[in-house]
Amino acid sequence: MALATVLRALFGYFFLVFIVRVVGRRPGKQLTPFEFVLIFFLGGLTLTGVVGNEVSLSNAVCQIITIACGHYFLVWLRAKSSRTARLLDGTPLILLEGGAWRSRTMKRERIAPEDVMATARDQGLRTPADIDTAILERNGEISLIPKKEE
Amino acid sequence: MEKQSLTNPISGDEVPKVDNAVAVGEDLEFQERWWKLERLIWSLFALILIADVLGFFGRGWFAKARLLEPDSGIAVNYERVERASTPSIMTIRFLPESIVNGSAQLFVSNSIVKQLGAQRIAPQPERSIIGDGGITYSFAASGSDADVQIALEPSFPGYREFSLQVPGKKSVGAHVVVVP
Repeated sequence: MALATVLRALFGYFFLVFIVRVVGRRPGKQLTPFEFVLIFFLGGLTLTGVVGNEVSLSNAVCQIITIACGHYFLVWLRAKSSRTARLLDGTPLILLEGGAWRSRTMKRERIAPEDVMATARDQGLRTPADIDTAILERNGEISLIPKKEE
Repeated sequence: MEKQSLTNPISGDEVPKVDNAVAVGEDLEFQERWWKLERLIWSLFALILIADVLGFFGRGWFAKARLLEPDSGIAVNYERVERASTPSIMTIRFLPESIVNGSAQLFVSNSIVKQLGAQRIAPQPERSIIGDGGITYSFAASGSDADVQIALEPSFPGYREFSLQVPGKKSVGAHVVVVP
């Protein structure tokens, strides 16, 4: 049934968005092999259920358009409502401020100091003392504000 | 008017600032609520997995069922929870009293063929007669342990019922939940 394939595609997309949101933000530049496995596996498994045994080109075209519409709707909703944006992306989170790690935030977001220091080294900063503020952004990147030199 | 609004630069006053710098926008109150929800979601995930392993979504201990009613002449092993587009086997065992003159007959309701998606029946029946809301199969049989297997593969989710009967004996039936 054509409607079933469209609904399956929509469900697959929204379910995947939900799962990725729950699994947590990982610093984008620091995807470990584990995260690569997760991404490929989630995509592959979702595809199996969404496509099922309907391997026709028309089904592929309709499902791709369905997912595009679903994505457009989410992006529109996110732009319209700050509540939805917060729900979908979360808010930026401070990981390190004034030389002190926010251990609760780090633990809850499953981020280690090494992840922050990897980004710091990328910007030429060697120790936590060189960082004024480290922020986990909504897109999973870690941005650093270096300490101003006295 | 429209053109003017398009060329108007954004002043930036709408963006929250701290000490004249753009605020990070951290909302720990929201985040705490989200973390609490996340813990609930992970617990729910655990429950779903346990339910799955136990067979509440099919293909497990809970899903397996057996029909054995006196005077029906058959014992049926089936899955009370099926998964859409997933094969399963329904086994019908003829009890000795239902084998007459080297032949066993079985009436299968249409729902087994249509809604539960019967793919094949083994062994091949000698004869099939359609009518009365189903199909009556005849098999050559002797002695005991005479089993017939029907391979099922339902296409769509839903709540289905089926019935089976050895002509002249009591009909047996049950419900099957087909999950997506």
